[in-house]
Amino acid sequence: MDGPPSDAVLLLRVAERDVGAFRALYERHAGWLALRLARRCNDGELVADAVQDTFVAVWQKPRSFRGDGDVAAWLWGIAIRRLVSRLRRRSDVEAVFGRSETVPAAEDEVLLSVEYGDLGAALARLSPEMRAVVQAVVLDGLTAREAAQVLDVPVSNVKTRLYRAKAQLRAALAEGMS
Amino acid sequence: MTGWHVDDQMLRRYVERVDSVAEGASVEQHLLTCERCRSRVNSAAYAAVVDLGAVLDSTLAAVEVPRPSAFERLLRIAGLPPHEARMVAVASAFRGVWLVGVATVLAFAALAAKVGDAGGLWFFLGVAPIAPCLLVAFSYDRRWDPALEPELATPYPALRLVLLRTIAVLALALPVVLLLGLVVPGQTPLVWLLPAVGFVALVLAASTWVSPLNAAFTVSGAWLLVVGLVVRRTYSAGVVLEPRIQVAFLVLAVGSFCVFLARERHLSQLRPWR
Repeated sequence: MDGPPSDAVLLLRVAERDVGAFRALYERHAGWLALRLARRCNDGELVADAVQDTFVAVWQKPRSFRGDGDVAAWLWGIAIRRLVSRLRRRSDVEAVFGRSETVPAAEDEVLLSVEYGDLGAALARLSPEMRAVVQAVVLDGLTAREAAQVLDVPVSNVKTRLYRAKAQLRAALAEGMS
Repeated sequence: MTGWHVDDQMLRRYVERVDSVAEGASVEQHLLTCERCRSRVNSAAYAAVVDLGAVLDSTLAAVEVPRPSAFERLLRIAGLPPHEARMVAVASAFRGVWLVGVATVLAFAALAAKVGDAGGLWFFLGVAPIAPCLLVAFSYDRRWDPALEPELATPYPALRLVLLRTIAVLALALPVVLLLGLVVPGQTPLVWLLPAVGFVALVLAASTWVSPLNAAFTVSGAWLLVVGLVVRRTYSAGVVLEPRIQVAFLVLAVGSFCVFLARERHLSQLRPWR
């Protein structure tokens, strides 16, 4: 007996128009995808639409997963782009990359510095604008152009901010080492 | 696997969105590669930011929409907007089986008439004019058409739906009747047209009182009875197809249609049909 089928196997079945496999894939991934998307967009309806768009895309083109890497990462790549394209059509909703309002409690801060060392602190010290760019490009895997669209700034601006953010992080880390 | 996993505290902070940028990013990167932590996030019930069940339903509805049928595509080409094309096309009368069945019966009738004896001709005379009205009735009687129920529950003019479907049925059925009429000797194919249209109009008018199918069955039965009686009396198909009878059918068609339009509001009430 093997365990439950892997995501990649489920995707193959989806390619053969297996609705059961499609449901299983949804059960496994819709939850965390929705949660992660909701951290980028406060509008629940838009998030729901993006999740639906994502799985419709999965149903239509399951073979665009090339078999390298994790299915989860592939799904996220689709989901964040669907969200971005939904956001573009809705000028009244803003993306929330790099939220600055959540300040961890003091004890958590201590824990964090233990866990992440200076990187966490250095990230926290970035300006909200720079952190948004880092989050969109480095962590969410958007291209500079996509990040520019979702953050509503020129592409050149994204590149400059990213360059400065990296420099600042590097400096902060070097400082911590010495 | 690194052995590192999202601990419960971190999971809670992530779900409640009170984590820091670095921690959130770490959790998210980890989730991409760790099935176990993903399912823990999924099962944190309070994490549900959207109604995932509803999203699944609408997603399935979106992916399971069947390709529009050839008939539906034809309607769209003819200029109907997609949703109306769908509403017209979902009628059970347009499922190929029905059309093939009706065409087969008519073909046999035409064949019988062709091979010669008067009985065959009468058979065709009996069947051909009533086939279109039966099809129309099937196309919007809700006993036969589960699709009609939600359609009429939506605010959509019943008159428009019935007329669209009627026109679609006629566009499909009349050519068949006319074409087969061509093989019947001794008559021009057009003589079947007026009786067929007259009966359709009559059924539409009657359907403002009774269900379309009951109307169609009554009309068909009456027609077959008349044909049978005429057969016993004269043995001549010509009687029914005389000009004055044709004029009578024309009057029937126009009159019935006027009645139908005058009583149109009874259509939107559509029930209770038994």
